[in-house]
Amino acid sequence: MGQVVIIPVVSEAAAISSADVAGWFDAEQGLLDKKIFVDPAIYALEQQRIFARAWHFMCHDSHVPNTGDFFLSYIGADSVIVVRDEQGVVQVMLNVCTHRGNILTRAEMGNTHSFQCTYHGWNFGLDGKLNAVPGTEPFYRCKLDRERWALQKVAKLESYKGFYFATLDPDAPPLHDYLGEVGRIGIDQMTAHGELEAVDGVQKNIIECNWKIAVDNLYDWYHVNVTHRSAMRVGFVAASVMQPNQQMVMLGEYGHAISGPGISQEQQQVIDELDDAERARLDTLSFAERAALAPRLTERRPIRPAHMKEVMGPVGVRAMGHPNIFPNLWISTRALQLSLRIPRGPLKTEVWWFSFVPKHYNAAQRRMAMKFMSHSFGPAGLFEQDDGENWAHATRAALGPASQRTPQNLQMGLGEDEMVVDPSGQRAIETKVNEHAQRWHYRCWQDWLRAASWQDLQRNKTPVPAGKV
Amino acid sequence: MASPVESAAAPADAAAATWKALPLTERMAWQHRVEQFLYEEADLLDRRLYREWFSRVATDVHYWMPIRRTVSLRNIDREFTQPGGMSFFDDDHNDLRMRVEKFYTGSSWSEDPPSRTRHMVSNVRITGLDGAAVTVQSDFLLLRTRMEGDADQFHGRRDDLLRVGGESFLLARRHIYLDHTVIHATNLSSLF
Repeated sequence: MGQVVIIPVVSEAAAISSADVAGWFDAEQGLLDKKIFVDPAIYALEQQRIFARAWHFMCHDSHVPNTGDFFLSYIGADSVIVVRDEQGVVQVMLNVCTHRGNILTRAEMGNTHSFQCTYHGWNFGLDGKLNAVPGTEPFYRCKLDRERWALQKVAKLESYKGFYFATLDPDAPPLHDYLGEVGRIGIDQMTAHGELEAVDGVQKNIIECNWKIAVDNLYDWYHVNVTHRSAMRVGFVAASVMQPNQQMVMLGEYGHAISGPGISQEQQQVIDELDDAERARLDTLSFAERAALAPRLTERRPIRPAHMKEVMGPVGVRAMGHPNIFPNLWISTRALQLSLRIPRGPLKTEVWWFSFVPKHYNAAQRRMAMKFMSHSFGPAGLFEQDDGENWAHATRAALGPASQRTPQNLQMGLGEDEMVVDPSGQRAIETKVNEHAQRWHYRCWQDWLRAASWQDLQRNKTPVPAGKV
Repeated sequence: MASPVESAAAPADAAAATWKALPLTERMAWQHRVEQFLYEEADLLDRRLYREWFSRVATDVHYWMPIRRTVSLRNIDREFTQPGGMSFFDDDHNDLRMRVEKFYTGSSWSEDPPSRTRHMVSNVRITGLDGAAVTVQSDFLLLRTRMEGDADQFHGRRDDLLRVGGESFLLARRHIYLDHTVIHATNLSSLF
């Protein structure tokens, strides 16, 4: 209910050892300790070692097209301002006045010339410089060092194809390396649609669940047939689209992954024969029309343009599943949306949906894309309506001491599949519905929690497997 | 200086003038009919008679709930997303039909077990009349409880277009302006 969200104070996570972390997930057995969804000390450790360290999605270039355009986002528990400055450069700074720590802007978005604190009036430029301080001469006797008290910027801010990410940790590797091949393929799944433009409006709602459940669910193609049955029953989407048996999983360093439907090599060969115009035309047809014309193709959309095979690689171009950029950025590629699952305490997650439309879409295509997006996800989405309670109840039940004695079961497909290394070097598991990506997510999550620093994480992270998985 | 006024869809000038020109007794009769329609509709939703409710929806309906944002006064024109922007609901007749039928599937888990809702409707004001339709503004408080202790409140304003149909009306347009920015609820599985 409409309560103010209180974010617990993140203190030094009390004496958690590597052995403790190792006990929270048994990757060999696929057993997950339920405590990780409710324990405040684990949450505090996540804030320090994952959220204050990782690269986080901030915005797309088109979210802040003009000088002074800004909106608020989060990096873990820190509120940050994303703004385009007078030089046209995107800046990300803490939304905290450097004087007495008041929140600097209360508006979640808009356009402004500067940011003025409502407490004592310190005024900061779009680039974060402290431009004006009331009483500089009479009260501060001209002794205030304005350069020293500029807004605190994030440690690093970089973009990949127009998608800006920031990190609070100066030791973080460059974004390109952080994303790695799998993370980049994830974003390329969006750019494969053409040049994108953000649609105005971010859907936001709060679910009383732990953030990790909301994240691992995006890899889960097992729940679809049950959780989302009613959306299929009323004819929103076909069951064959919702649970294709042909699944493909790619795993990336630091915990990124793509899990969901895949296109087989044989199907890709059919696609390779088509020119871009024919691919685009097939995508505009209804499922039935398309199946009649191209029976050997799957129903997955879009059929990516020819050059994307070069960009994404021969395996990556066949991945049609859901990517997650670790820790919490879901790329919902069919619908052209990005979703953040922002932790707001161990038992609360704020879900955000950013929506995009390719610039080259005509009015009818745009209308169709918007319709699919507004009816799929977000709190009123025909799919997502039915997700939240599963996550909330799984979280709530984990509070029970007796419930905690039994681990969660993440054993589907364990030891049954193979990570095949393609001649190109790209790796994928091609199989049925499975829980490989969920296991990878928690395994890498342990790496992050064990690591004392970025260097430590880089040295000791789990390598992407090859062979039996 | 920016104005703090909350934007509202205004009826066409002619419709507003027609409405204002009516004698008081006629306006009272209209007011009564409109209120009865809105109360009956709320009752149908609260008693989970969704198909009955849907029979009062016009085939050309636009059922829309934009996203509200916290903005400063100088950006107040951007408080709500506009048509063509993102929204929570942007439904035509078929979209609403899917939502309604979803309640009856036996697998609509967000509403099975069903929520207990109470649609409180107030501040009903007719703003225009063009012979075949009235524009109506109303405020709502939707109270919802689920299971042991889940309790949600949604409130805001609705701008409706009610088309005269027989003894009653058909809902031809409903634009719902929530007072919330971040939705502090697991979902929006209710109708407003």
